[in-house]
Amino acid sequence: MADVSTPDSGAKPARATGILGRAQKKRPGIRIDMTPMVDVAFLLLIFFMVTTVFRRPLAMEVNLPEPDAKVEVPESNVVTVFVDREEDLFVKVGKGGIEPITWADLTPTLQANAAANPNLIVLVKIHREARYEPMVDLMDTLEDAKMERFSLIAMNERDQEALEAAP
Amino acid sequence: MTRRTRVRIDMTPMVDVAFLLLIFFMSTTQFRPPETVAVDLPLSQSEIHVPETGTIILTMNQTGQVFISSETGRDIQELAPDNVLEAIVNWRSRNPGAVVVVKTDRDAPFGAMADLMDTLGHAKTLRFNLMTDLAKEPAAARHTAAAPVQERTDG
Repeated sequence: MADVSTPDSGAKPARATGILGRAQKKRPGIRIDMTPMVDVAFLLLIFFMVTTVFRRPLAMEVNLPEPDAKVEVPESNVVTVFVDREEDLFVKVGKGGIEPITWADLTPTLQANAAANPNLIVLVKIHREARYEPMVDLMDTLEDAKMERFSLIAMNERDQEALEAAP
Repeated sequence: MTRRTRVRIDMTPMVDVAFLLLIFFMSTTQFRPPETVAVDLPLSQSEIHVPETGTIILTMNQTGQVFISSETGRDIQELAPDNVLEAIVNWRSRNPGAVVVVKTDRDAPFGAMADLMDTLGHAKTLRFNLMTDLAKEPAAARHTAAAPVQERTDG
């Protein structure tokens, strides 16, 4: 099948005659069997097709504020989202109390508050012993809710005490 | 006896195409460098691509240890907590145009990550990327009780 063959290597062994009618020397047809080479080529092809990764890693962009920048915000304009050590969510709206909340309710709550108060600022406080994953999940959720500006800080002791006092 | 005509299929074009594909895949393949630090990335719906070259990668593993490397990952080195700031400043001054990418394991403690982000702020690296894997569903759906717990890929 995958052969290279010279033209006279066909099935007919008929004697060709030259211009002068003299019998020409019969040349043996060269046949190269390409099958093994093609086999190897296909093997390599399959290997590279399988191992190629076209996917490039994805990322979230973060813009930090200047390290020493201080912004004074009235408490009534702040919604604080807490993540405690067990990675449960709590939310504190304005001067209200700390209340537990589910992930599913978070986006609607944030959006409702943002609609009621355009100057709303979201503060995310995560327990230092919680994992990194809830932070990314929260960033994702906030981006979903079109709240791309928020503050992210580790919880201090006062917050922890407040959380423990909450229901 | 009936004479059967012999069927000959010319495979040359197919082999040509196969070789073309082979050359294409061989030239485009970039083998992933062996990962010295196992990191299981968090999931997010963000679809921003990390640039392929000109990046400084800060890796944080499950326990909160910090490593620094270029995008190939071959020159990875572990950083002691006191050296992180110095190393970031050094690497940044060596290639000022580089994008800083933070590759943190999703099970790393948040405290360590908060410290690292603090350090980045002090190193005047106010823009950086957090490397993530693409999530199929929003975060809220991932946290509902019905959703299965994501298995770690590094065992």
